[in-house]
Amino acid sequence: MKLNRGASCKAVMVALTIGLSALTLPVRAGVNRPGVAHWSVVVNQVDAGGLGLAPEFEVAIYENLLDELVKTKQFSAVLRSGDRNANDVSALLILKTTVESYTPGSETKRAVTTVAGATKLKVRSQLCTREGKVVAERVVDGNVRFFGGNLRATHNLARNVAKAITESTLPESAPSVNEE
Amino acid sequence: MTGRTLRFLIPVVCFTVSLMSQDGDQAKPPVSPSVVHARAILGFEGISNNTNGELSIEGDNLIFKPAEGPIAQIPIASIQGLFLSQEDKEVGGTPMALGRAATPFGGGRAIGLFAHKKFDFLTLEYLEPNGGFHGAICQLDKGQGQAFGSELEIKGVHVSGLNNDSSKLETKNEAK
Repeated sequence: MKLNRGASCKAVMVALTIGLSALTLPVRAGVNRPGVAHWSVVVNQVDAGGLGLAPEFEVAIYENLLDELVKTKQFSAVLRSGDRNANDVSALLILKTTVESYTPGSETKRAVTTVAGATKLKVRSQLCTREGKVVAERVVDGNVRFFGGNLRATHNLARNVAKAITESTLPESAPSVNEE
Repeated sequence: MTGRTLRFLIPVVCFTVSLMSQDGDQAKPPVSPSVVHARAILGFEGISNNTNGELSIEGDNLIFKPAEGPIAQIPIASIQGLFLSQEDKEVGGTPMALGRAATPFGGGRAIGLFAHKKFDFLTLEYLEPNGGFHGAICQLDKGQGQAFGSELEIKGVHVSGLNNDSSKLETKNEAK
């Protein structure tokens, strides 16, 4: 009898888990990714904001952003700044990245002191339409505190920006060419 | 137990430090700047990040040849700018980092003092045939960046950073 009760409890639990997962998955997909794959995105060059950001950091942020955005599979195409193919795309978003703060770090200091020498980056990331309307905006940071080179901060930053974009709600569909 | 650990670790630490210092003192043979050993940090088309290979100038192209796999080719005419910089980097990679973390009595920090080396960094900005902006970063041994940058400067590439800063400032003042 005890065995039967235990088995039925387990069966109910399993059924509940399956039922809940079946309920939640489509809802999540419906909220976060309606028609998102129709959008293409152009990644603009990083605006250093006069903070004296080293060119290798600007380039690393830009290149890492391109890589991470491709990995998210959120967009039908991820284009580079100045790419002429962007002119033919109707559903286009533009990713603008402005550096808000930058603390240069040192790998040697990190290795010797553990607490000092962190590289810190904070950027404002904006997804805009061609007309300049901001669709999503986030302030994101990327740091490297213990292990890894200074440029690792740019990789962490790009990953966080891509994550923020994945979590944000984008418009369901792009305006058609006629509407424009 | 502690004594035994120390007895084991002290020779290891001394050996590592002596190796590091030997490497620093070694006189480097002059290398032809047109072919240098380099590490593609990121941004080279079709090349994985942190791939070791050879960076060279062949005709009108800048070429990165990894030990295996396809080569990356950038037309020099498409290079918008080259920035040179220098940075301290830890040597030994993850095994060294783990070794440092595992060394007791702060020995890891002492190793960290010596287990680093200066490298030159080459940051390239160039345009793809379709107009797309592209960036690439390359790591060279100390001193090679300047020589390589000078070669590219002769070919008409705008070079800045390291010794080129003074000339850049002069140009700015002239413009004013």
